[in-house]
Amino acid sequence: MAIGKVLDPMAARADDITSPGPDAGSLAGRIVGFRLDEIWRAWDWVAEYWAGEFRNAGATVKFWRSSQGRTGPEGERVARSLDEFLTGIDVAVVGLGNCGSCTGWTIRDALAAAERGLPTVAVCTEVFEELGRNLAQRGGRSGLRIHILPYPLNEKLKVEVDQVAIEHLPGILQTMGADLAGLKQAAG
Amino acid sequence: MSTRAEEGVSATQTAPVPDLRDCGPDGCAIDWLSSKRHSAEIDDMNAFTRFSLEQGWGDGLPVIPPTEARVREFLAANSRHPDEVICALPPLNAHCTVEKIVINAVMAGAPAESLPLIIASLEAMANPDFELFGLNATTAPVVPLTLVNGPIRNKLDIPYRHGCLGGAPTPALAIGRAIRLIIKNVGGQEINVTSQSTFGTPGRVAGILFGEWEERSPWAPFAERRGVKGDAVSVYGTMGTMNILDTTSQSGPDFLEMIGKSLGYPAANGFSPAMPYAEIMVAVNPVWAEIIHRDVPGLEDVQEMIWNFSSLDADYLTSKHRDQLENLGRVIDGRVYLATQPKDVFVVCCGGTGGLHATGFHTFGSCLTQTRAI
Repeated sequence: MAIGKVLDPMAARADDITSPGPDAGSLAGRIVGFRLDEIWRAWDWVAEYWAGEFRNAGATVKFWRSSQGRTGPEGERVARSLDEFLTGIDVAVVGLGNCGSCTGWTIRDALAAAERGLPTVAVCTEVFEELGRNLAQRGGRSGLRIHILPYPLNEKLKVEVDQVAIEHLPGILQTMGADLAGLKQAAG
Repeated sequence: MSTRAEEGVSATQTAPVPDLRDCGPDGCAIDWLSSKRHSAEIDDMNAFTRFSLEQGWGDGLPVIPPTEARVREFLAANSRHPDEVICALPPLNAHCTVEKIVINAVMAGAPAESLPLIIASLEAMANPDFELFGLNATTAPVVPLTLVNGPIRNKLDIPYRHGCLGGAPTPALAIGRAIRLIIKNVGGQEINVTSQSTFGTPGRVAGILFGEWEERSPWAPFAERRGVKGDAVSVYGTMGTMNILDTTSQSGPDFLEMIGKSLGYPAANGFSPAMPYAEIMVAVNPVWAEIIHRDVPGLEDVQEMIWNFSSLDADYLTSKHRDQLENLGRVIDGRVYLATQPKDVFVVCCGGTGGLHATGFHTFGSCLTQTRAI
């Protein structure tokens, strides 16, 4: 048996931002942007419910629908559109990580929002939580806020998904670092 | 992208230094190799393979210990500095240096002469339009296919005849494996960590790396059609291989109808609402290629026929799928198309002279095929 030296084949990335970034704070008077996609209707339903509650709290809500066409001329168009969307909002809620590649793009778009200093939350379903956190860490921002919804989600009926949205409203607000008291007052 | 990595230059580099590209296995005056050294059993293949798995470096097959001597020997056979940054591979996006490429190539058992091919393949995959980011993370079993054109096919014994997609004993397996190890160890694609691939595919171990039988093909070499003559690689995100058997057809149009209709099945990624556009590749054996070319001389006509025959009647889909595609504007005159346009149907010639089979390579979706000179 001979012991010798071998060279490490792995690469490493040294930079990492562990901070979750700024809290969303009070939503009154703020513009909350929801990043939707073309795949998950359940995420549309959840976002619609949360958007209604945020409006009740005095926020303005914008929606932007992502496409998985991130390459070629279509990719350039989507990148410009995302840039315009992020420029026009104060808080980003980015979803939905509910498959491998769409979790990848959810995290990548959330990182783009966080890089601008926006209070940012990515939303994934629980099966894709670990992937989301790993991709955030490898993207250089392990502190990215991620809210987890139950899985399976898209397979549920709308009435079931609405219940999930209701149950997860306190959770998403907490993950956003939003002012819960203000929201309750507005709702009350 | 090709720059020099700062960490690759040692502190001793204060005076002008000679070109050390060929410093060889005995070592250089300056240590250009910046990778961390690990102590390991280097003369026991089984022990080292176990070690590589414990370290998270391996793929389960036996690996060759990347000793300094082996890495230097590999480098010495090539005119590249080890600290040269070739690209950044997602999701990690760390520097993919020549040194890291060579270490992984040594582990895989790839020949030193294959380094230019490996580098060209990685550069192609790193192009954002290839969308390696999504490919590496997805639940799909997608893997980059590497198609080789030019005289380098014969120099490196890249298979393009019988069993070219598997079974032909050639160094192409080790070369493809080297690329896979690099994507894992340098790009950071790890199963159930950064990759959610539900099933994976055998092609994720040694890649799918083969050549085009240019000498028997009635069409121009694939890379040349894309503007690159001579030695070249094209990378394409494939969901694996799909066999197409036809023991009945006798004419070019009949073969093309059979190929097209076989490619078009509802759950192909190209029909997914998640994929706004797609390409499709089909490998045609040289016997069929000759008949097809005899009856349908224009390649554009061949592409258009496959494109049309691979489309589906939208009513054949379930109503929910049809509705989703209709909302995206993808139902055209009652049909949905597997590839975006006829030009996105890629036809290549390879395989054995026994004929009877074609192979379909369904795409992942928005990965756009990239071609680079070697």
